[in-house]
Amino acid sequence: MKEYFSKISDYLFNSLNKTEVLILNFDAEVTDFIRLNKSLIRQAGNVTQIGIHITLIIKNKTLKSSIRLSSNFEKDSIILLRTLYFLRREISELPNDPYLMYEKTTHSSNLINSTNLDSFAITDNILMRFRSVDMVGILSIGKIIKGFSNSLGQFNWHESESFNFDWSLYSSNGKAVKNNYADGKWNDSFFSNLAEESIRQLEVVDNHEIKLEPGKYKVYLSPSALNEVIDMMSWGGFSYKANRVGSSPLYQMFKGNQSFDESVNFTENLANGIAPMFHSDGFVKPEKTNLILNGVYKNSLVSPRSALEYSVKHNAAEYYESPVSIELDIGPLNSENLLSELNSGIYINNLWYLNFSDRNNGRITGLTRFGCFEVKNGEFTGPINTMRFDETLHNIFGEKLVGLTNNQQLIIDTSTYEERSSHSSKIPGAVVDDFSLTL
Amino acid sequence: MKEEFVNIVKPLLPNVDYCSIRFVSKYSNIINATRGVLEPVVISEDEGVMITIYNNGGAGYGATCDITKEGIKHAIDKALEWSKFSKNKLTYFPDLTKMKRVEGTYFTNESKQWSQVSVKDKADYLLSINKALKSKSAISNWGAGLRYNSIESQFIDTNDSNIRQKLSYILPQMIVSAEYKKEMQTRTYGGHAHAQQAGYDFVDTIAMSDKAYELVDEVIELSKAPNCDNNKTTVLIAPDQMILQIHESIGHPLELDRILGDERNYAGSSFVSPDMFGEYQYGSKELNVTFNPTLEGELASCSFDDDGTFAEKKYLIKEGKLLRPIGGFFSSQRLGMEYVACSRATNWNRPPIDRMGNINLEPGNYNFDELISSIDNGILLQTNNSWSIDDKRNKFQFGCERGTVIKNGKLTHVVKNPNYRGVTEDFWKNLTKVGDESTNEVLGTSNCGKGEPNQTIFVGHATPACVFENIDVFGGV
Repeated sequence: MKEYFSKISDYLFNSLNKTEVLILNFDAEVTDFIRLNKSLIRQAGNVTQIGIHITLIIKNKTLKSSIRLSSNFEKDSIILLRTLYFLRREISELPNDPYLMYEKTTHSSNLINSTNLDSFAITDNILMRFRSVDMVGILSIGKIIKGFSNSLGQFNWHESESFNFDWSLYSSNGKAVKNNYADGKWNDSFFSNLAEESIRQLEVVDNHEIKLEPGKYKVYLSPSALNEVIDMMSWGGFSYKANRVGSSPLYQMFKGNQSFDESVNFTENLANGIAPMFHSDGFVKPEKTNLILNGVYKNSLVSPRSALEYSVKHNAAEYYESPVSIELDIGPLNSENLLSELNSGIYINNLWYLNFSDRNNGRITGLTRFGCFEVKNGEFTGPINTMRFDETLHNIFGEKLVGLTNNQQLIIDTSTYEERSSHSSKIPGAVVDDFSLTL
Repeated sequence: MKEEFVNIVKPLLPNVDYCSIRFVSKYSNIINATRGVLEPVVISEDEGVMITIYNNGGAGYGATCDITKEGIKHAIDKALEWSKFSKNKLTYFPDLTKMKRVEGTYFTNESKQWSQVSVKDKADYLLSINKALKSKSAISNWGAGLRYNSIESQFIDTNDSNIRQKLSYILPQMIVSAEYKKEMQTRTYGGHAHAQQAGYDFVDTIAMSDKAYELVDEVIELSKAPNCDNNKTTVLIAPDQMILQIHESIGHPLELDRILGDERNYAGSSFVSPDMFGEYQYGSKELNVTFNPTLEGELASCSFDDDGTFAEKKYLIKEGKLLRPIGGFFSSQRLGMEYVACSRATNWNRPPIDRMGNINLEPGNYNFDELISSIDNGILLQTNNSWSIDDKRNKFQFGCERGTVIKNGKLTHVVKNPNYRGVTEDFWKNLTKVGDESTNEVLGTSNCGKGEPNQTIFVGHATPACVFENIDVFGGV
């Protein structure tokens, strides 16, 4: 596909007038989706999709169009040229864009990571491993491709083949555990161990349910649970614009009125290579951006548009200004010895459906889900009923933070809205005191 | 596409137990003006096909945006490969003899086409709305936008079915914020609620400019308002919050694929079990809920769903009693239940699953003044801004932009950060009064997420204002 993108790029760039600049973002995936329920196939198939986002710039005006491509040049070239003519005609009617900024120096790059994943063999393997239990989930396998080119001569390519298997096991009593395996290469023995561990966890969780009363509890938030909190915090928390207009849940920290515990360090870290290093307008992203350092708000994610609007420097953030590869540093708590660290409290493996209770004050709500337990005197006593929490970010990462664990988990986003996500996070677990469970 | 498409693909249909070809062409145009500046205008065109095959005990699909003859043949091959592989490995295989030949059309009534208004006129309009939103100095953030989506589909199958539909909708949006003593309050219009199936004529009818001035006054008042008190009280919920309440605690728990466990790894299951249909008292006698794809202008109105099932109005809940689930032709076979035409896909690249369509709460007998005057102590809740519910759709907590305290049958003062929480199984039993047709609004949301692989889809909710007793209400920090 790289050659095809190069061919259509040249074709369009050769059709430009001298005053025109064209930016192309290429998006493609070839994915097998295998949806599973009760350890059988619910829906299975293949999706092949190629799209291109075209941005025409003439002086200080800009207009964008997205179209699908067939990869048949004869057909696509007609549609592409028609789109270019349409953009030319419409752009003249638009006002100047005072916040228009695009990369004018060229930084080409090329990353291809191709393996030969066998969807049928992997599906058979999964069905076999879980044939004796009630498993539900989704397996996504295939290539994700992102390309960038502009008429100034830049060309970037990011192609990777991977799988993401996200599953839950359910007991006949409705108790569940959740797990995930995502990588570029499938490792049978690694998966076999994970599958066996899942089945063991299900046996532990399938016990008499303990009904908790609302109140304040000492809790352990696993990396998956903490990831949900961080996701919520990222709804504007690290956006420069959201902080300038006051809609960020970290607004008080941005203004210097609050801080987290000094052990808390958040970084946007693109070094794992899962997300492309290039911005949709051609800028090269920094490998690392400190967001919160020693508990103090250090940097926001600043898009080129925000940079022009507020006269600050950008750091090649996309327009939505939220992290795509966030990392939280480890802390001192020994993750091998968590039950002792927690002593008596609630072990929360997953949180679900978070939202704001009071955005101004960084207060969020959500629910426990999948394999959450009560712990007494350093031992599991049984699974808990679904509980709602309502707590501030300032308590979770600040005053009530007992500590972060000493190892991180890489969590690859399972989202497949419109296309497979290339977002990820790398975070430890946390023990938090006086965590409010409300319902 | 139309007949030309049918003529091209019909000869390609393979010799299998059943095969359908669903062609989808989507057009989308998003125009936003924020803080007095027009953001880059985005136009998207997307088209592709999904081939679904049921054959010899297996099922599979192939989807492609390459709609040349070769591209479609390749997608058919993929569907055949997966149907062969999945033989005897499926959760269920439907009874294909129950399928019928269907034929028909549906087109949104667009009396004024979106394309009849130039991009310049739309941009100028939104910039003028921006001026109205920034009409007072206390305003710290503001913006307005219009989104137009048009989805054209053509469905043919080996039963010689042929369905052509074109659904177009518009989502207007306004946001305005005011900061007072380091705390921001926001009022919105559109967003989660005010989408309609229509052409540009809808924009002409909603008078965004008048609403903009109202929002400005409301947000300034809100920014200086006290926090909502924490107490158990009577709530009068306005339609732009009721749609969220219906969506999350009636719509989702009644989706049959949740009840059957398909969604347990992602969107969740349901507290509703199959044995509850026809037996369970979901709410008070005032509660009447329909699946209604026939209401003109409502977001998910149509003649057929994406599996080719004819769409009709049916009661889901009548006088509080649970009657039937939101289950499509295929999934309803898994339980031997009656189906509704709710099998929908977000696009050509995702397979149909059980979705809401239009889920409406039928009007009752009280006008707005009567609803207010019936409340001694309570609160009017308007416009959703936060939503959270457990994976069985039971324990919920919702937040609203604006609360107005009701004392002795009269609206008194505004409060900020009003939230309320409850449990679905109890909540609807506390429904005591349902507003009449004069309080009823036809609304809808464009971003209901569900499914693996994930799908976002538009759903409609028509609802009057409603009164609930004994609700746990609380404010901000």
